[in-house]
Amino acid sequence: MNRKLINGLLVLIAIAIVVIITKDFVGNKAGKNTPNPYEYSVDQFRQVDSAKVLYHEVLTFPVGAETLSGIALADSLVIVAAGNQLLHYDRSGKEVFRKTMSDTANCITVDKEKNLWIGMRHQVAQFDLNGNMQQQWESFGERSVLTSLAVSGDKVFVADAGNRVVYQCDRKGNITLKIGEKNEQKGVSGYVIPSPFFDLALDEEGFLWVVNPGKQSLENYNADGSLRTSWGVPGMKLEGFSGCCNPAEIAIMEDNSFVTSEKGMPRIKLYGQHGELKGVIAPPDKFDTDSYYAPDVAVDAEHRVYALDFDRKQVRIFAPK
Amino acid sequence: MESKEAPKRMDRRKLIRNGMQLSLGLSLAGVAGWSATKSSSDDLVWQLDPFKCVQCGRCATECIVTPSAVKCVHAYALCGYCDLCGGYLKPDPNARTTAAENQLCPTAAIKRKYIEEPYFEYEIDEPLCIGCAKCVAGCTSFGNGSLHLQVRHDLCKNCNECAIARVCPAEAFQRVPASTPYLIKGDFTKGKKG
Repeated sequence: MNRKLINGLLVLIAIAIVVIITKDFVGNKAGKNTPNPYEYSVDQFRQVDSAKVLYHEVLTFPVGAETLSGIALADSLVIVAAGNQLLHYDRSGKEVFRKTMSDTANCITVDKEKNLWIGMRHQVAQFDLNGNMQQQWESFGERSVLTSLAVSGDKVFVADAGNRVVYQCDRKGNITLKIGEKNEQKGVSGYVIPSPFFDLALDEEGFLWVVNPGKQSLENYNADGSLRTSWGVPGMKLEGFSGCCNPAEIAIMEDNSFVTSEKGMPRIKLYGQHGELKGVIAPPDKFDTDSYYAPDVAVDAEHRVYALDFDRKQVRIFAPK
Repeated sequence: MESKEAPKRMDRRKLIRNGMQLSLGLSLAGVAGWSATKSSSDDLVWQLDPFKCVQCGRCATECIVTPSAVKCVHAYALCGYCDLCGGYLKPDPNARTTAAENQLCPTAAIKRKYIEEPYFEYEIDEPLCIGCAKCVAGCTSFGNGSLHLQVRHDLCKNCNECAIARVCPAEAFQRVPASTPYLIKGDFTKGKKG
């Protein structure tokens, strides 16, 4: 009797040991799942009060390409430059046009005449809406890295992260003004661009706004290239711009509100025309964590925000609640 | 009458002896050849692929050497020399200064040096570095990823079974030739994402 009892107990203990070891092995993945005592956490900054989220996502559609470059809007079309592909989608997300370009796009914009302006690494090219090349400018040099374009009337503004300057050009590509160039005699420290994220946009009055990413600020310029005003504070808190190179992408609405998009801890926010935070368009939990790429953004007349999500390879449309 | 000589027959003992001698000779030749090949080819050492590293902290806690033989290294060519450095400063610091309360590194192993407005240089004090990768996480998320971990071969014991490699969740550890023992970012790149 005693012997049977002892045997039974031993079997039970053996089963318990096997269960514990198996649970530990599976749960801990053989020691690979233990907590990190040195974890770098920005979780507290990922939390956003839902009352501050002013937009909701109304439509998402995939982009049928591996390498994404930029997004722009023209009438009812959503235009995506994706590597050397030019893609048109209707507002429901249906692909309606696709054309292969001769070079890889870095950025894209559309002017009021519905011409497409595409920035390659060193060059700017103009296309019609059907992707037929109208002209291609001369290279801005081997050191140039073109990251953003904006067109107003006969002026084309080109952001060059490699040379840390904004070129104001005529429509034929002749440089008429260099903006933000470092000038020690004038005490202009120039743009601080630690990585190839250097965006610009035009407001409704045609004034140029340029992101100075290393200073976490947006700078506004007069027609003669002199600094008019600037705003922006560094910081992970909601009102600030985090990291070395934010906001990485911007767009300006018809009422001169600013849409900003950040990398590192991706988030899209809405600021008033004087730089006061209005609220959040897409909080960090809408994106994959720690993305190297900030979503590129474009806005339409109904204040909807079109975000090109580089990680998920999607166009994501956010509308006011 | 022509006499025919009977064919010579090898006895069994001789056959076995010859066979054993042949086997021994072949074995010795094989071992000698293998040794020669091994001594002329490269030895292997442990190294971690910085593009696979997920900054889990295991390099600090699992290495048999104290402090860890894994150290942070800095690819200066990739660095933005940022004032607001994600690898040096805590998230949302009180000020962008060298005050201990603002530093991310638990052992203050990163030195911040002013270069010119608004640029700063960051240097790793390796004896202080414990390989925790906290700075690597900050730099990778909010900077250019110029800070990254590497096994330092003047410290590594090159164990047969590396204690860190065994638990590395990203399987970033690999054996590399001793003649090219480092996988430094900038020199060593992965396909561009985009």
